[in-house]
Amino acid sequence: MSLSELVRRRPPGDPGSPGKPRGAAPPAPPAPVPTRKIGWRVRLKRDRSLLLMVTPAIVLLGVFAYVPMLGNVIAWQDYSPYTGFLRSPYVGWAHFERVFSNPLFVDAVANTLIITAFQLVFFFPIPIFLALLLNSVITPRTRTTIQAIVYLPHFFSWVLVVTVFQQIFGGAGLINQTLRDHGLGSGFDMMTNPDTFLILITMQSVWKDAGWGIIIFLAALSTVPPEQYEAAAVDGANRWRRMWHISLPALRPVIILLLILRLGDALTVGFEQLILQRQAVGADVSEVIDTYVYFQGVVYGDWSFAAAAGLVKGVVSLALVLGANKLAHVFGESGVYKRA
Amino acid sequence: MSGQATEISAEAAVLPEVRRRPRRSKHRPAWEGRPSVGGQALKFVVLALVVLAVAFPLYTVVLTSLSTQAETIRVGGLVTVPGELTFSAYTQILNGGIVTRAALVSTFVTIVGTILSTTVSVMGAYGLSRPGSFAHRPILFVFLITMFFGAGLIPTYLLVSSLGLINSYWALILPGAVSAFNVLILRNFFMGIDISILDAARIDGAGDWRILGRIVLPMSRAVVAVVALFYGVGYWNAFFNAILYINDNAKWPLQLVLRSYVLQGVTLPGSGVGQVDVATGAVTGMPVKMAVMVLAIVPILIVYPFVQRHFTKGVIFGAIKG
Amino acid sequence: MNATPTFGRLGDHAVDRRRFLGLIATGAAVVGIPGLLTACSTTAPSAGSSSAAAGDVIPKYIPVTYIDPDYPSVNGSVPGYETIPPELVQSVKDAPGTGVVYTAMTPLWGTIPPTKGNKYYEAVNELLGSEIQFQITDGNVYGDKLATVLASAKDVPDWVSIPSWNLPPRFGADIVENVFQDLTPFLAGDKVTPYANLANIPSDAWKFCVFNGKLYGLPFPGEVITNATFYRQDVLEGLGITPDVKNGQDLIDLAVELTGGSVWGAEDLWTTAAIIHAVPPKWKLDGDTLVHRVETEEYRAALEWNAALFASGAVHPDAVADQTGDAKARFQSGKSLITADGVGGWHEALRDNLTSNPSYWQQPFEPFDAAGGTPVLWKGNPADIFSFLKKTDDEDRIKELIAMANVLAAPFGTTEYDTISSGVEGVHYTRGADGLPVPTELAATELQPTYIFLVDPPMSETHVQYPGYVKAASEWKANAAQYATDPLFYAQQIVEPQEYASIGQPFVDLEKDISRGRKSMDDLDAAIETWQTSGGEELRAFYQDILDQQS
Repeated sequence: MSLSELVRRRPPGDPGSPGKPRGAAPPAPPAPVPTRKIGWRVRLKRDRSLLLMVTPAIVLLGVFAYVPMLGNVIAWQDYSPYTGFLRSPYVGWAHFERVFSNPLFVDAVANTLIITAFQLVFFFPIPIFLALLLNSVITPRTRTTIQAIVYLPHFFSWVLVVTVFQQIFGGAGLINQTLRDHGLGSGFDMMTNPDTFLILITMQSVWKDAGWGIIIFLAALSTVPPEQYEAAAVDGANRWRRMWHISLPALRPVIILLLILRLGDALTVGFEQLILQRQAVGADVSEVIDTYVYFQGVVYGDWSFAAAAGLVKGVVSLALVLGANKLAHVFGESGVYKRA
Repeated sequence: MSGQATEISAEAAVLPEVRRRPRRSKHRPAWEGRPSVGGQALKFVVLALVVLAVAFPLYTVVLTSLSTQAETIRVGGLVTVPGELTFSAYTQILNGGIVTRAALVSTFVTIVGTILSTTVSVMGAYGLSRPGSFAHRPILFVFLITMFFGAGLIPTYLLVSSLGLINSYWALILPGAVSAFNVLILRNFFMGIDISILDAARIDGAGDWRILGRIVLPMSRAVVAVVALFYGVGYWNAFFNAILYINDNAKWPLQLVLRSYVLQGVTLPGSGVGQVDVATGAVTGMPVKMAVMVLAIVPILIVYPFVQRHFTKGVIFGAIKG
Repeated sequence: MNATPTFGRLGDHAVDRRRFLGLIATGAAVVGIPGLLTACSTTAPSAGSSSAAAGDVIPKYIPVTYIDPDYPSVNGSVPGYETIPPELVQSVKDAPGTGVVYTAMTPLWGTIPPTKGNKYYEAVNELLGSEIQFQITDGNVYGDKLATVLASAKDVPDWVSIPSWNLPPRFGADIVENVFQDLTPFLAGDKVTPYANLANIPSDAWKFCVFNGKLYGLPFPGEVITNATFYRQDVLEGLGITPDVKNGQDLIDLAVELTGGSVWGAEDLWTTAAIIHAVPPKWKLDGDTLVHRVETEEYRAALEWNAALFASGAVHPDAVADQTGDAKARFQSGKSLITADGVGGWHEALRDNLTSNPSYWQQPFEPFDAAGGTPVLWKGNPADIFSFLKKTDDEDRIKELIAMANVLAAPFGTTEYDTISSGVEGVHYTRGADGLPVPTELAATELQPTYIFLVDPPMSETHVQYPGYVKAASEWKANAAQYATDPLFYAQQIVEPQEYASIGQPFVDLEKDISRGRKSMDDLDAAIETWQTSGGEELRAFYQDILDQQS
């Protein structure tokens, strides 16, 4: 038999078969593999080629991620590069105490979480929306052209992005200059206003990265067989219903995955973007965990402090991801990894 | 955006008419109804705004790169109205052959790195994609950890140095070869493939290598292309590894060399430097900085259509069949 | 060791360096930032304990003059030369090298030159007699490279350049003795005599190279007065304004007067504020008590003055948004008319503008005091970049490298200086009708300043190509130098305890916040209190100890 035949074989019970538009369920749930009944030896033997496939990745990560990760022991040391990891004196949890004892740290955590929450609501959905919109443009040339333009700002540096925004929205920028020329007052300097900073940085992020974020969703949409749309259309489902019942469910697993991973990144927000605009609005609104660690530790070559802060961040991030993953399971999603 | 009911009626009203109309978009499938005028207009406006928001700054960047230094000083920033145009910023960068050499280095590193990373990640993702397979949860955890716990500069440097990779192109590839994020994305897509297809193949005696190569990969072209793009862009843009690990300046990748053009002309005030700016003369102005920006984007512009082709492959394939 | 403004000679380029931080087209430049911002906002903790006995280890100062300057040095100001001498002197008769290859690590703020077949390198190496093989690193992230290389002794090259702001923490405590060669036995006192060009470097610069009571570094000497406040004289003349600024209020008034339409009077003048109020770079002696910069009345007054300037509305909005990277562009395009810059920024501005705008002229205000009294100008670091030789038991190797350094330190008027700065005649430049070197295209690719980061002669003002510049600059510098004052602990390398390294960090933010009216003097009081309780007092005691030992 030919394997390529299998590829073309329409999956049985497939939503693509003529029928009503399906509810918001992901494609056919995988048949549960009865793991409990099989002993681990048998499974090891059965899955040996799978394990072999994972091996190169594990080796690479083991050598280039895990070995240097051991260097984080300096978080418990009074580390000096010359003395090295082995001989630097052990100082217990002192560096961790330093991370937490500074009142600025609390502010930085608060700012970080506010920015993350805001961007989760006002940034995260935009690429999804744009992907659906683009996907509905039927002329391939228009679609690809638009796509090829909107993803380019991703490759601009933050310095350029900030400069562009300054030249448009700044106190001497295009908008304010026009207002002044027409005697409409000097308007409103968005670039130096701490109250609107959250909106400003979200606008910048959207401008820079929303187009790039589309790509992964477009890839997900391209996996939907057109027959599904056809069948739904024949059944009388309009555009909105087809988007709601076919396109969105196709995106759902990847949306959930990205959402969970974004949560894991909740403590990481645009370091470079914020550091560039820190003095324009003041540290009170722009200090986040990464900039705090940078200014308290990295600038002064205080590697131990930076390592301790990094570990704290890692633990919290991991906890957030695992928590979000659990939550996804509760809602019947597979998340990062499924329950066995 | 209007209520669903009106949408439906609008569609219903148009549908029969569509069949009679000889002029219709050749791209619109037969079953597709004619879109409502309001919806189309809205879509057009939104997309036009999005494109404009991106295209205008892009235009000023390109225009500035083609302007004279004097013009940029006159306007005091990015140029928006074309004045005297010149390619001097580009010739200044491309003269001397260093950029060409560095572009070759970058191309090599990007191609080798992307192939390696994508292969390893696809294998890893498939190896973890079968529900209930041996030890897949602990292994996933091993991947996940690397996303949240980093290593400092110094330990990584010491490792690369002790492996003897200083001054080797492998130092630009191996340390970041596997991204857990990309593996998770791939795995997510692989798991979306209907398991009954895979089971059928297995029953027919196909091993996992065959299933991966002949079923999973062909069905996952789009996501593999995306992940390859992620890796490729990562390798192409990376410069910091080269700063740390490459001492031989002839082996510098393109981004590092381009960076150095942005720094050019910052003569340090000082005794020995007294005449240096007489000698070199060249100064980094806005045009050169913007030209660097444009040059960095060009290869990505060239590669992107190849990636994008895979997004529509599945659709065309299906369409022929349908 | 914290919120000192960038007083270093290279500090005036901090602005540029910051601007370069991501103008690079790459997406993820984040890792690249550390070294860079260190240079901008803080002075790296210096290293090496002070030593009252520094005098015994530094080389004897034996000045040489190959050409008499048209504007001689006054009070240590930089001498000026109106012409390039037609006859050059070869200061070192025979190339000292033995034909070996030495590796050297240096930063570069410029285009990477080809390392193979580079005629400029060949010419200089010929003068040296041995080859220096450069490992060039982007100056913005040089600190990161240094930190990693110094942690791996086997990767340390023979000759390492270290800018003072990139000195790694614990450099004096751990690194310098273990990794680098003590040069005291080779250069102290009279031992420097055979190396005439090294002996020509003033004592303060050498003194700054002393760590733990021993001489380790070779210096890149600095300028006595590092910063100035410039105004666009050409534009002001066009407006019919002749500035007469005698005190701080005059300057604000002028800035307000110049503001209107799409032109603003000033950039962020915090540097100016610190200068005219004589804010000490680090410590000040008030009777017997050490007072830290942030505790001084001068600091407070400077903040109030700068806040008044911002409040007047005369500061360009982009400067309010702290877009410092474009400050020079705004000033040079006439969108803002007063700016603070390093003195080296003067001739650079002429270089960048005279071709397209022949009437361009920027002029520094003569030094003045905020209250109209006698100005006090604190001296800048006597050296901003050092280089170190890798530790070895092979004395001849060290001697050879020192002899090579002696060639590189050849001052203006020598053939060595000429080759190092201009390359080879006929290859890298040709003589124009006026005798000035005209660079060839090859110079743009090959000739990048790399040797200068190893060792340098004392400064000289030789930008003869800009009409009137040498005269104006030399006269201004000579006038300013009369007010030059040694700050406390001048030219000393002091290792501060690591745990207090970051306590001054809040003041960096506070300076911006108070200037922009986001915070008040009450916030300053609170910050000072926090500073005192979180290590400031310990730091004071630490410095008091040093002071006691020295007296």
